[in-house]
Amino acid sequence: MSITDQVLSALLVYGLPVLFGVILVCSVGIPFPISLMLVAAGSFVEQGEMKLWQVIAVASVAAILGDQIGYGLSRWGGRRLINRLSRKIGVEENIKQAEALTKRWGGSGIFFSRWLITALGPWVNVASGIAVYPWRRFVLWDVVGEVIWVGLYVGIGYVFSNRVQAIGEILGNLSWVMVGLIVTAILGWQLVRYVRMNEQAG
Amino acid sequence: MKRFGLQQWLVVLALVLVVSFTGLFAIRTVRRAIYWHHHKDEPIRPWMSLGYIARSHGVPASVLYQALNLPPKTGGPDRRPIREIAREQNRSVDEVIVILQDAIVRARPPYPPPGPPTHPESEPSKGRSP
Repeated sequence: MSITDQVLSALLVYGLPVLFGVILVCSVGIPFPISLMLVAAGSFVEQGEMKLWQVIAVASVAAILGDQIGYGLSRWGGRRLINRLSRKIGVEENIKQAEALTKRWGGSGIFFSRWLITALGPWVNVASGIAVYPWRRFVLWDVVGEVIWVGLYVGIGYVFSNRVQAIGEILGNLSWVMVGLIVTAILGWQLVRYVRMNEQAG
Repeated sequence: MKRFGLQQWLVVLALVLVVSFTGLFAIRTVRRAIYWHHHKDEPIRPWMSLGYIARSHGVPASVLYQALNLPPKTGGPDRRPIREIAREQNRSVDEVIVILQDAIVRARPPYPPPGPPTHPESEPSKGRSP
């Protein structure tokens, strides 16, 4: 039996504790079919097997807590490791530039990786922690983004309560398309910038 | 203009790979959306409860309970996934799925299906005036 079947069976039988646990570990970075799980939770709400406010509250708290763990571990554990490594291989300047970039664009990165490009969420937590992105601002964007994410996916499950498998499959594929589009834009922008710089220099 | 160096070619290579990856998943998304638009029935999976299967396939839940010789649902929601029911009944999940699929087909119109064909000789002629 697939991991998806096992996770959804456990959600059906044990309810909220499973929802909390799976979302928590997934937010730290362990991959699980979490979109499908939230859609299924929305469907169970519509069928009267779970309560809407409980699902929203438990899923949001789990996601925010998981993000804080990822951020905290990277900020206080990863930071020391990065400092030591960057000094050894002489890339301290690059790390500082990356930090400055994260501090400047971090807010929108954190916000959109919570609900639009969820596959990048755990990585953005790590990047924000390593770049020492201000914790209070991280929490603000994190809470807003995660509540939108949970509300959106549970809402979709509620509306399409008899098509969980279908919607889960489509959303799963769509989230990878979003990741691909973002990375394509970043790489394309790098190439355009290189060409423009050369034109100006030439 | 300066030509691309190794770093730029690596970015181009990465761009091609990412565009291919994105295109692949975009095609998969569209294909799945088209598939589900034309196929109303979701395949029955081990995690599904009888209530969900009944809802998803648009049949009364009692039909599925009856097919598995289970007492009708009373009181609170029955949260057992069918893999749990299969375990309780010492059956394989596949066996339970086949029973449920059969019950769903029988619960839907047009049913009952036409009876076995009668012998051609005994069948009265059609389309002719007596």
